[in-house]
Amino acid sequence: MPGSDGSAKSSAEIRRLLASRKLDRVVVLGANGTMGYGSAALFTQAVPEVIFLARTKAKAEEGLGEAIRQVRSPTVASRARVGDYDHDLGSAVAGADLIFEALTEDLPVKKAMFDRVEEARRDDSIVATVTSGLSINELCKNRGMSFRKNFLGLHFFNPPNVIVGTELIAGRDTDPGVTDFVEAFARARLGREIVRTHDTPAFAGNRVGFKVLNEAAQLAEQIGPLLVDRIVGPYTGRALTPLATIDLVGWDIHRAIVDNVYENTQDEAHETLKLPAYMDKLMEKGVLGNKTGRGFFWKEGKVRHVLEPVSGNYRPESEIKLPSLSYVDDVAALYSQARYAEGIQVFLEAEGDEAALARKVIAGYLSYAFLRVGEVTDSISGIDRIMGAGFNWAPPSVLVDTMGAASAVRLIEEAGLAVPKALENAARTGEPKRFFSDRQVNTGKFFVAS
Amino acid sequence: MTAQREVYVLGGYMTDFARNWTKENKHFSALMREAVIGALERTGIAPEEVESAHVGNFAAELYCMQGHLGAFFTEVHPAFSGLPTSRHEAACASGSIALLAAGAEIEAGRYDLQAVVGIEQMKTVSAAQGGSYLGTAAWYDQEAKGVEFPFPKLFGRLGDEYDKRYGLKDEHLAEISKINYANAKKNPNAQTRTWYMNKEHALCRTDDNPAVGGRIRIADCSQVTDGAVCVFLASREYAEKYARGTGRKLEQIPRIKGWGHNTARLRFDDKVAESRGERYVLPHVRSTITAAMKRAGIADVSGVDAIETHDCFTTSEYMAIDHFGITAPGESWKAVEAGWLEIDGKHPINPSGGLIGAGHPVGATGVRQLLDAVWQVTGEAGDYQVEGAKNVQTLNIGGSGTTSVSFIVGV
Repeated sequence: MPGSDGSAKSSAEIRRLLASRKLDRVVVLGANGTMGYGSAALFTQAVPEVIFLARTKAKAEEGLGEAIRQVRSPTVASRARVGDYDHDLGSAVAGADLIFEALTEDLPVKKAMFDRVEEARRDDSIVATVTSGLSINELCKNRGMSFRKNFLGLHFFNPPNVIVGTELIAGRDTDPGVTDFVEAFARARLGREIVRTHDTPAFAGNRVGFKVLNEAAQLAEQIGPLLVDRIVGPYTGRALTPLATIDLVGWDIHRAIVDNVYENTQDEAHETLKLPAYMDKLMEKGVLGNKTGRGFFWKEGKVRHVLEPVSGNYRPESEIKLPSLSYVDDVAALYSQARYAEGIQVFLEAEGDEAALARKVIAGYLSYAFLRVGEVTDSISGIDRIMGAGFNWAPPSVLVDTMGAASAVRLIEEAGLAVPKALENAARTGEPKRFFSDRQVNTGKFFVAS
Repeated sequence: MTAQREVYVLGGYMTDFARNWTKENKHFSALMREAVIGALERTGIAPEEVESAHVGNFAAELYCMQGHLGAFFTEVHPAFSGLPTSRHEAACASGSIALLAAGAEIEAGRYDLQAVVGIEQMKTVSAAQGGSYLGTAAWYDQEAKGVEFPFPKLFGRLGDEYDKRYGLKDEHLAEISKINYANAKKNPNAQTRTWYMNKEHALCRTDDNPAVGGRIRIADCSQVTDGAVCVFLASREYAEKYARGTGRKLEQIPRIKGWGHNTARLRFDDKVAESRGERYVLPHVRSTITAAMKRAGIADVSGVDAIETHDCFTTSEYMAIDHFGITAPGESWKAVEAGWLEIDGKHPINPSGGLIGAGHPVGATGVRQLLDAVWQVTGEAGDYQVEGAKNVQTLNIGGSGTTSVSFIVGV
């Protein structure tokens, strides 16, 4: 089971932790938002009472309706109550064992809510935030010790009923017993794959994942979105292509995440985290991805149109001529028989500018992930598990193991990027033979044959 | 007669039953390859050591337009070129039949190390088409032809038969479903590990939990999926060598201590007619279970620490509870109400999530049950470990209680 970034607790230890305290009542703040109702639905599977709170009771009811639709079970309602902040927050928070904050990603808004929570909560209740990247320490700064001891980040990915990868972030003052309990609860009762990360901007998954996505967005300006999604496509170890992913999560969310990382970190790949100017400009015109219908792609009936980033115009996909990319078909044919190492080899040796560009993006992913070890997680295992279970991407270690450490080093060197020490050592000494440590995960599932 | 040779299980590997191999654009051969290579890597066995191979599969000819499955071993590794291989079929018990055949070859002294694969790729066709293919596990012309989803209906009638003889409440079936789903959440290879389920949902009588066959609703069903499992069976000589090589004692290597195998009449009506007036609804299933116990030298179910049973539907698990002897016939509900079936209960059933929770790629199931039994007795079951399990019994059923196979695996 999990490596050092999720403590490898035995099932007996988990049972002991679960029995160590009561968690019967959960309050979800911001239950009308996507993460609010998605998380609330998840909790109804595990506890008898979940209170959906929003600014108005009507909004909370909307959230409950969405929760029911998302998990397709009317039984969510039998464990749910709804209310609004002005009338119900005090009593709901006072009676809750877990207060789960899922408001908009805005530090002052969240802090103002925590003023009210701190006033109403019992000393023994847990307060968790679903923030995808705001600082946990900043969020509980200047609060009393009881609040800080019981406060942590529990970052579900959207939609939480489908994606099990979850980041658990303890603050400086979080009681380790609370962190252990929440991990045990989330694993055993909510079926979460827990990765413990440090309190760094965007934590582990979004830090590494949105670096790659943003680089793809930057590349789209030069070669067009269609070609980007083809060359950094499923065969590079992902079910959903990068620009389609940005359309799905929303351009505004993408901007919030990369801006946060760009402003608050200084690393060797800093410029790949700078939001392309064309995205800022187009967002002013309402291009926000699937939620507004238009993003890198938009569908008109059965016809898919593709954005031209510079002009902001769209062209039907059928009018765009892509260069011959026969190597991609060769890779896919090998993958379709589970010949993954041979497929990767074809990719590494493929000729042409497009293959070289694709290799550069993948080299960037590997280099960036391995260089974040120590900063965002204790080991590569944590980054691996969140990229696998949170993004459904081939974890960096899986790619390295499949191509071999020496090939990985060569790939990174050819891209002109910094070679992480661990990879350099492995290429030189042959140790470790494998980086990916979770024996329970089928690594083959990440190599999609298309 | 000379003393029976022992059959050891050296471990293995399973594919993630949540995967849809058609969506990954992968061929049947990929499913097989991942299972076998995964098992070689996980056990550290060199492919050159494998002397013979068996494949358990129900209907690849229908689902994948592919027969001659044993031969696909030669595609997995160059060392398998020339390997003796075969394929075995007995509907949903196909995997166990492959295990029995492989085990018999070890008992006969023919080979010292065997690879056994259970495999089924089912997401290649629509649910209705697949349901019709599954009908060939019954007497197709008489019980399945022209019937939409024949098997839920057959197992619905198993529930009706219980109801008639002893009384049966839906809430007990719902509890069985709930436990399997809850256990599956702890199993990283379970098909339903992210699915929404609670007891109220299992009891829910709306379109979110539609009826598919009499009293059987969706929450009562195991679901079709894609999956392959590979295990290695070995003689005592090979197991001793393997134990030394992995720094263990022979006693720490799981062994198949007992097995049972029976076939009842194909048609459900005939089975029920045969057992009229008897205490057990499916007496041949009962014989399979007790034969395995007898061979293992285990007096009754109190000597079994956990069970991996064939819950293709909640009614089949309900049946298994009294057939294993956990309660008197007709009183399975008592074990449900007492909480005995949960992972930390008195008689844990399906810590893996079973077919309902872990998924039911038909030909893979029997081998998956055996592998889960192995992981339980070696303490490798992770979050779904039954503490201190030493002996685990499986029950794998083909058709409507037609072919039954049971193994007891222990250390």
